[in-house]
Amino acid sequence: MVYHSSFVEEDGITKACGCPLLPLKSHIKGPAPASNPGKIDIVDEAITFFRANVFFRNFDIKSPADKLLIYLTFYINVALKRLEGCRTLAVGTKAIINLGLEKVPVPGDLGFPFPGLFALPQSQDEAELFRNYLKQIREETSGRLLSCAYRPNGTPNKWWLAFAKRKFMNIIIP
Amino acid sequence: MDPTARPAVVIDNGTGYTKLGFSGNSEPSFVIPTVVAVNESFLNQSDICRNENWAAQYNAGIMADLDFFIGEEALSQFRSSGLYNLHHPINHGLVDNWDTMEKFWQHGIFNYLRCDPEEHYFLLTDSPVSSPESREYTGEIMFETFNVPGLYIAVQSVLALSAGYSVPKSDMTGVVIDIGDGFPHVVPVVNGYVIGSSIKPFPVAGNDVTQFVLQLLQERGELIPPDESLEIARKVKETYCYTCTDIVKEYNKHDRKPEKYIKQWSGIKPKTRVPYSVDVGYERFLGPEIFFHPEIFCSDFSTPLPDVIDMCVQSSPIDTRRALYKNIVLSGGSTMFKDFHKRLQKDVKKIVDDRIAASSARLGLDVKPQPVEVNVVTHPIQRYAVWFGGSVVASMPEFYQACHTKEDYEEYGASICRTSPIFKGMY
Repeated sequence: MVYHSSFVEEDGITKACGCPLLPLKSHIKGPAPASNPGKIDIVDEAITFFRANVFFRNFDIKSPADKLLIYLTFYINVALKRLEGCRTLAVGTKAIINLGLEKVPVPGDLGFPFPGLFALPQSQDEAELFRNYLKQIREETSGRLLSCAYRPNGTPNKWWLAFAKRKFMNIIIP
Repeated sequence: MDPTARPAVVIDNGTGYTKLGFSGNSEPSFVIPTVVAVNESFLNQSDICRNENWAAQYNAGIMADLDFFIGEEALSQFRSSGLYNLHHPINHGLVDNWDTMEKFWQHGIFNYLRCDPEEHYFLLTDSPVSSPESREYTGEIMFETFNVPGLYIAVQSVLALSAGYSVPKSDMTGVVIDIGDGFPHVVPVVNGYVIGSSIKPFPVAGNDVTQFVLQLLQERGELIPPDESLEIARKVKETYCYTCTDIVKEYNKHDRKPEKYIKQWSGIKPKTRVPYSVDVGYERFLGPEIFFHPEIFCSDFSTPLPDVIDMCVQSSPIDTRRALYKNIVLSGGSTMFKDFHKRLQKDVKKIVDDRIAASSARLGLDVKPQPVEVNVVTHPIQRYAVWFGGSVVASMPEFYQACHTKEDYEEYGASICRTSPIFKGMY
């Protein structure tokens, strides 16, 4: 991975599964702390670095925030794949909402894409906390992704949707 | 006029293209794809029709060795008629089909250069990792079939090095990175001798960049006619690709000013005569990026080119390393991307500086070591640097003494061609 997260210091941030629950500029309800609207948050970083990091297969983790970056890069790949057939913003939004309604796996669950990346949750509460954080961050990412993947007039932006065909770390998305 | 008074013929055989010409010129007279189209239809005729067509088959058998094409003609004949099969005599820089190679040289000398091989000395080039036996075969073909008066088989890297000098220099020391179509190698050369144990291969070449560009175009859904897809990708690569300093910054530049960065490639489909147009965007800078991050394209190789260069120099004798870093020479078509040398120099310098800083910190030295100068040399004839080096070498008066002559060949046999003396005191 060539691009790492800048959220290196983690004092005062709650952790779950070995991953800091970084603040988000989000209106969606969830366990994430609120971030300053002027600053860049982890979702902005994930989207900016996605088109570069999606090509890579080897990652060196410089800070625990990088783990979140990897997870979000994978999620953006999944979301783009769902948007592949959608010709308009409305259809795309519906597909993304469906994606958000699906069950969110946490580390330790069968469907979690990166076994071994995160630490296993110590308790049921920690698992639930992490699940809710993931749900919130996924919804937030989907929202910002739609504004990139579709042009202002509602037609798909082929420059972003081309990456739906890329397989991040060769993981086949079901 | 005896052969030493005429210019020598310089032939640089590469995996993708062969450069042919005469010494003393600054660029090759012909640059043709290294491909031969052979008529092999007579091989498959069944026994049943043998009696009726014996005349045709007899003629085909007799004429078969004259019925072939090379280069661009071969490609067009292969496309237009189904009679011909394409053969690539050189793979990964090494000749593996000597019959076809001989045919290639035959057409090259008689039909393209139109010279009499008995009247000229020849300079041929050879990959730094080729075997002595292949040089022997080359010598045998040249002396027996073409009856040349003299032959010199040069190492491609040493020729590329001599092409890189713009001021007279007495030593030939440097690292040569020859990235063509075949199998690039990073070759350290000290005082004109190749340090064989430090040669490092690098499996990403021009062909891989073309395939990656094609893959990106197809993923985006650009309409490319399928029979010409590789050709189009290659032309797009040669026209529009450049090297960037940072991928994410480049993406942002493309997003902010699409009209400046996104180009169009238009053409006409050959079969239907319908014009088509293709948008070219991110592949412009992602293509050359695979030299710096091979894992983008290959799944089994992930060492970037600057690291390979560094490993190569570090495995060379310790007293040669500073000189090697100072003279890193690029050659070959795939090093022609815009700003390729700047990016390479920056990356290699960073590796070297980091290492020096780490060792100074570890040892806590009071005296700082002298900084290592890293220089990546680029020059206008980079694309044909090997051929140009050959032209320069073959136009020197000492060349004729250094060649293997026909008399030596007849006296001692083909094994004389296994080694060729290296030139010293070039200028």
